[in-house]
Amino acid sequence: MSAVLAVCEQRDGVLRKVAREVVTGARRLADGLGATVDALVPGSGPVEGSAELGRFGADRVVTVTAGAFARYAPEALGQAIAERARSGGYRAVVFAATATGKDLAPRVAARLGAALAQEVTDVVVEDGAVIVTRPVYAGKALLKLRLRSEPALVSLRPNVFTPVERPRAGTAETVALDLPVGRVVTREIKAPEAGALDVGEAPIVISGGRGLKDPANFRLLEELAAAFGGKAAVGASRAVVDAGWRPHADQVGQTGKTVSPSLYIAVGISGAIQHLAGMRTSKVIVAINQDKDAPIFKVADYGIVGDLFQIVPRLTEEIRKLHG
Amino acid sequence: MGDGVVGGAWFRPSAYQPPLPLDRIILPAGTPGAGDRMDLDVLIVGAGPAGLGAAIELARLVREDNQAGHGLGEVQIGVLEKAGALGEHSLSGAVVNPRPFRELFPDLEDSDFPFRAPVEKEAVYLLTAGGRWRLPTPPTMRNHGYYVASLCEVVRWMGRKAEELGVNLFTGFPAAALLRDGNAVVGVRTAPSGLDREGKPGSGYSAPNDLYARVTVLSEGTRGLLTQAYLDWQKIGSPNPQIYALGVKEIWETRRSLDRVIHTMGWPLPSDAFGGSFMYPLEPNLVALGLVVGLDYPDANLDVHVLLQQMKTHPFFREYLEGGEMVEWGAKTIPEGGYYSLAERRSGDGVLIAGDAAGFVDVPSLKGVHYAVQSGIYAARAIFAALKGGDASAAKLAEYDRLVDRSYIRRDLYRTRNMRLAFKGGLYVGGIKAALMTLSGGALFGGRIAVPEDAAVARAAGPEASFVPDNRLTFSKVDGVFKAGNATRDSIPPHVLAAREVPEEVARFYGHLCPAGVYEWSDGRLRVNAPNCVDCKATDVLGPRWTPREGGSGPRYQRM
Amino acid sequence: MKIAVCIKRVPDTETRVKVGPDGKTLDESGAKFILNPYDEFAVEEALRRKEQAGAGEVVVLSLGPAATQETIRTALAMGADRGILLQTDRVPADGLEVARVLAGELRDGGWDLVFFGKMAIDDYNHQVGPMVAELLGLACVTAVTHLEIADGKGIAQREIEGGIEVVEFPLPAVLTADKGLNEPRYPALKGIMAAKKKPLEVKPVTPGAGGLEVLAMTPPAERPAGKIVGEGPDAVPTLVRLLREEAKVL
Repeated sequence: MSAVLAVCEQRDGVLRKVAREVVTGARRLADGLGATVDALVPGSGPVEGSAELGRFGADRVVTVTAGAFARYAPEALGQAIAERARSGGYRAVVFAATATGKDLAPRVAARLGAALAQEVTDVVVEDGAVIVTRPVYAGKALLKLRLRSEPALVSLRPNVFTPVERPRAGTAETVALDLPVGRVVTREIKAPEAGALDVGEAPIVISGGRGLKDPANFRLLEELAAAFGGKAAVGASRAVVDAGWRPHADQVGQTGKTVSPSLYIAVGISGAIQHLAGMRTSKVIVAINQDKDAPIFKVADYGIVGDLFQIVPRLTEEIRKLHG
Repeated sequence: MGDGVVGGAWFRPSAYQPPLPLDRIILPAGTPGAGDRMDLDVLIVGAGPAGLGAAIELARLVREDNQAGHGLGEVQIGVLEKAGALGEHSLSGAVVNPRPFRELFPDLEDSDFPFRAPVEKEAVYLLTAGGRWRLPTPPTMRNHGYYVASLCEVVRWMGRKAEELGVNLFTGFPAAALLRDGNAVVGVRTAPSGLDREGKPGSGYSAPNDLYARVTVLSEGTRGLLTQAYLDWQKIGSPNPQIYALGVKEIWETRRSLDRVIHTMGWPLPSDAFGGSFMYPLEPNLVALGLVVGLDYPDANLDVHVLLQQMKTHPFFREYLEGGEMVEWGAKTIPEGGYYSLAERRSGDGVLIAGDAAGFVDVPSLKGVHYAVQSGIYAARAIFAALKGGDASAAKLAEYDRLVDRSYIRRDLYRTRNMRLAFKGGLYVGGIKAALMTLSGGALFGGRIAVPEDAAVARAAGPEASFVPDNRLTFSKVDGVFKAGNATRDSIPPHVLAAREVPEEVARFYGHLCPAGVYEWSDGRLRVNAPNCVDCKATDVLGPRWTPREGGSGPRYQRM
Repeated sequence: MKIAVCIKRVPDTETRVKVGPDGKTLDESGAKFILNPYDEFAVEEALRRKEQAGAGEVVVLSLGPAATQETIRTALAMGADRGILLQTDRVPADGLEVARVLAGELRDGGWDLVFFGKMAIDDYNHQVGPMVAELLGLACVTAVTHLEIADGKGIAQREIEGGIEVVEFPLPAVLTADKGLNEPRYPALKGIMAAKKKPLEVKPVTPGAGGLEVLAMTPPAERPAGKIVGEGPDAVPTLVRLLREEAKVL
């Protein structure tokens, strides 16, 4: 019986949550192909959490241990995965489109001479072929592709494949490898520099307006931004920048261009046209405002009407839970 | 007094317009502050139809002369352009008369030119709020034998031709000042880039560049900064001041196809404003449409962008546009003064002025592109003779004025010399006068009709139009700026110079005047959203002065 | 220091993306083409490394149609020394085929560094750089945001979820540039003039079809109409669920 290989990530000996998504996607492919799922968990020793992968559809959970795998070792990993894929006769190899997965997958693809589709948001099997959908042109179009190589390599965009419980045996195996790290060596993992993210570049922007009432209250937004783990920046409306509450560099909007993060949260901002112009191309807009008639709600995808001083701390709490 | 005006205080925009800062625009050669210095033979300011026409003709003359064996050798021709890429600041209707293209490219056929379809059918309508009246096409507006075109595409194509001939195209470099030696123009200084909001060098700063040349051609287009400064500095006058119109234009992909060139007059313009609309098929289902309004309107609340939006809701336009998509938006002023607004001379020591910068536009036929190219050709011929003679003095370069004055440019503009000016009295009076002028070949009312400059025309606020865009057929100014592709850095220093104190009625007037939402009255003062600016120059005519920003700022027109 | 930079000509799709009549490709009418922004970082970094070394050559390569010459000229105007266009009218969807053509040209070139952008803003493929590295057997670091090079070794930083990886590698190496690595220079007037005279070699190539077949290009689903999730802090859990499950941004 043919199989699909799900490449799972760990950090510091703990399985990353995204591995569930990878196994979920692999299971979907395997069902279409009439195949089994092998979850591949590389680590320098046992990886905490790998046992749960059976619950999400892994028939086997293969922990591959090597000293080289303590930190991300692209060359050693690339070699190990490519060899496994080749010798195991896999129909498909599934990665997570994380910073690591997007780096690793092309290396494996080149070693195997196989086609790779990165940042995939949907996978199906039609007539025995792997068909994927992936966004192109900054998400302004979707491309549907057929992968004709065997194995077919895909990396799944994180947070798209909601983990689904599809219990399988999840038989645990451990394979110990003796591999050199390779030429490219990860020396350390540093914490992101706090506040280093620019409003114009951050994938998440949380902006505050006059509704915050006092410059000191921007602390609430900074706490919310911190809960997103270094992905969020705090912006400001023109009104509060002009009032001297926040620096010019944080100001969102004025022209037809400016920020287009994947998530924009407008807090206590009424939505003057100049502000809307600066954030209207954001992928998802959330508005939190006391005034239910504020123009910001017209452009927002989701709105909450009410007291931001109660809503924002609650949101921070929920986001922390999510990322915990 | 305008019938649209109901109360509100009267004011003259000129009272609030700062003077042109000549001390910043005319600099003695060698003034400190520049980074790189570059020496060229001929420098052309503005890569539009006039500048590129001049570059192509001159490069060709030099090449032929060199091939004939008695040439000048290598002649370095440089074209400065403020847009980030060719054509991105070019906007016109346009129906183009191919005549100078045939002269510029004798080996090419019309079908080789970057035009869209030839004009086969055309119609003129007078619109009322709900109806339309087909009018006979005035003789000046007959377009058979001409071509619908996108000026962006024409400019890109001409730019490639110029490059093939060895011309240096410097896109993304706005000219900010003329360099002078005595009364002679010896080059230009470009605008710096990478300034922060306070005007101090930020990260990515690059200093201005000085470009020196034996001859500088000012082909900056409408309301050129250096052209205005040069004429002021040299005290070169004209019988009438130059007057302007503002055009706002959109490109639409339509479901229903358009098979003819259309012009309309009347609704939604008030009768005390002069203007009209156009709708041209670039492709059967790709339509350019726009509204052009003279900037001498008395109602301070008149808003050309809003009028265009309103106009599209007329059944006549709606039936073409509904269900389609607005894909591009832009705005630009047009010099409309015609013959009596031409400067006494368009040449001087080391300098020539061509195209829209010189005011070569014929309003009754709604044409300027072919005059621009033609004047560029004449500029090139005069420059070539000057280079051959080793003399770029005013006397030698005056050959350019002679060539223009003997040509159809002068002839056409003279024939229609008073037609636009007649409309100072409003549409209906003007229409009758214009008809009589056409019949009499310009002889009736043959003397010059004197007009004031636009900024001297008194204004007062009429009723505020309520306009809420539906985002399908009608759009806000900010949407327009977005569709103009404007990607100006948000933190540029303000580049428009407004009076220190601007009263509310004047600030609101600027707000309506500017199609790009640069000006707002809020919290009791005039707010300037400088990055919105699309370089149309409307407020340079009637209010805050325009100065260049860092290269590549402003719109990114593709098919305008 | 001998450096190659692989660049791509891409449509600037800031304002508008429309699917072409074939239902598989972008409608390019009215589109503007630019140097892929991530490749600008790559070109800039290559120039800085050469300047730092005090000697060397920066060669720009691209696979694309004839019009790509303009894109290469942009890089030459920034300061690269010469260009090579691997000319084809058909750039395959499969990044591996692109990588094979580029690797074929780069092989045995004696490069100290080969730079790429981390991805192209048209196809978001995210793969050609590391594939070329594998095909050439070179060390590779992707999505580099900070770089130090000395004594035949380099230290690069790359952003990962919730942290920054500090990676050491030997030269020669393939590096892909991310935003933040540097601030690309504008071409100077003299650079633009000089670029016209710099060599630009055009070599026709025929890439393989590869293993990726485009079936369709479609516009994304319409944005659902905005909704008020609720009032007060009790609406927060619903909001978070919608952001996660419906909008898929958390």
